[in-house]
Amino acid sequence: MKAEPKTILNFLHNYFEPIKDLFDTQTREGFIKKERLQEILKTHQQAIEQQLNEYKILKKVGDDYEIRGVYFNFFEFVFNEFRPLLPETIEKYAHSIGELFKKIREGINKDRNILMQRISDLYGEIKDFSESVEKNTLRLLVETRELKSNVDKIDYQEKVRKASFWIDYYISPLNQILDVNHSQSITNRLFDISNYVNIRRLNFDDEMVRQQFEKTYNFLVQTNDDLLRQSKILTNELLPLIERIRTENMILTGWIEFLKKPHKVQVPRVFKLFRDYPYSNDMYYNAKEYMEQFAGDEVVIIDEQDVQANMWLFNKERYRELMMSKLPMNNFFDWAGSTLKSEYKTVDTDKFFALTTLLFEEGIMLEFDPEADKKVVRTTQMTLRVPPIKVLKYGIS
Amino acid sequence: MEFPRYHRDIVGDLMDGKFILASDPKFIELKNNQQFYERFFKESFKYELELKSDYGYILSYETNEQLSRDICIFFAILCYELDKDGKNFLEELQYAEFELEQLDNYFDNSPYSDLIKSNKQLQDSESRKQFLNTLGRRNIIEKSSEKKFTFTQAYKVFVDFANDFAKGKLGESDEPMADSDNGARIIEEV
Repeated sequence: MKAEPKTILNFLHNYFEPIKDLFDTQTREGFIKKERLQEILKTHQQAIEQQLNEYKILKKVGDDYEIRGVYFNFFEFVFNEFRPLLPETIEKYAHSIGELFKKIREGINKDRNILMQRISDLYGEIKDFSESVEKNTLRLLVETRELKSNVDKIDYQEKVRKASFWIDYYISPLNQILDVNHSQSITNRLFDISNYVNIRRLNFDDEMVRQQFEKTYNFLVQTNDDLLRQSKILTNELLPLIERIRTENMILTGWIEFLKKPHKVQVPRVFKLFRDYPYSNDMYYNAKEYMEQFAGDEVVIIDEQDVQANMWLFNKERYRELMMSKLPMNNFFDWAGSTLKSEYKTVDTDKFFALTTLLFEEGIMLEFDPEADKKVVRTTQMTLRVPPIKVLKYGIS
Repeated sequence: MEFPRYHRDIVGDLMDGKFILASDPKFIELKNNQQFYERFFKESFKYELELKSDYGYILSYETNEQLSRDICIFFAILCYELDKDGKNFLEELQYAEFELEQLDNYFDNSPYSDLIKSNKQLQDSESRKQFLNTLGRRNIIEKSSEKKFTFTQAYKVFVDFANDFAKGKLGESDEPMADSDNGARIIEEV
């Protein structure tokens, strides 16, 4: 690279806006199309294509471009905008760390220089692993909080889809990597390494190697603390946050389904007020609440002629005598139904209800078990579920 | 015979259909004497005591189905509108203070206008005001002024219903829900 370091840093400073746009484009699309590059430079009225190439900020890929890895990582860090890594990508560190640790143990008494190189590489791999986890947690936290605050006002199905996506592909697998209770987790392996390194930093013969073990041990202690913190963020903040989105959307699904047929669904039980005292504080409102249920504003048209033609006069005395002659009876409604059926062939709803008023007559006693099974009575207009009511003669029956 | 503290008020409130809330000193007495009250209501009236971690209420064998249905429709539409407005409705129900004007805005511009218009308790601003009074008397909301209110923890009864309904719904066909209601009632019109 011919350019002076200061020149490059000045260039980044002076052309910050177009460079940020290029970074955003690559983050979004994975690369920068030739046309898109020209567009950005034109928007900012800056002809800096040559410098971008000369300072090796951009790399040509076919006809298109991409920001070189070293700059891209630098920009990610500066902008605090990290691309989430798939947990399987992070998991590769489990392999490299495990392999290096194995080699260190096997070659502990062999070549000193190779041993030192391996310890140094192990240090580097652990550092990269820890940074990747931290970057991912930060990114996931931003994504989840955005989803929760829903600034983009996305609809609930999309919200569930996104929440499930983050949980299934990122959060749960990352949690597994960090879970100390999981024997195969990287965190657990780091604990093993830490124990080994702790012993070696104290009893290894060569002082240089001992110092390197010491440095690695201190770093591992710090890394284990960091990972524990990341794991806590995942379990205490991310998972509940995203789980809450799922719950919330489950509830909304329930409401939307309910609103499709609100009158056909069995709703939660709510205490029914049975009686009120006129001097009770709530008497006025409870009476109002009760009456409002029946206050209808619909226009009701009564066909007078029809009513006249179908007029049926309830001979209460006659039916009362009929009922009294059948006492005691086990089920009043059975009797009412069969009486009407024998007289009119059908059970008319109005007649059935008229007969029901006999229950309020004097001279009888009623026995009613609220927990007994209900019986079904089919009238011409309705299907009624009625409790069995036992009717006895008042006095000696 | 010794009765728990606030016994008269506890029985009075529950028999008035009120939810007793954790913020109320009566709740601690109710919780501490759970077994006694369970038996008391069962033996005296055949009522069931439902005691959760932050509220308690009783259930009769007959239910005020109309009121429950209206409350469910109210919550369903409110949650739907809050979500549409980009808000986390669970947080809103739990922490936010609502204004009547805001409520009117949601209900008057809701796509469920047919359902709202046909519901006597929710059809217009005045009916909703009365309806909120009913919710207030049952301790489902708490009024901070004539025009402002917050929901109490009792909202969970209805939100849990929606959650359960969704869970049952997802693995279920289009069959009508089973009717386990007690008492004589019309179940179907021919």
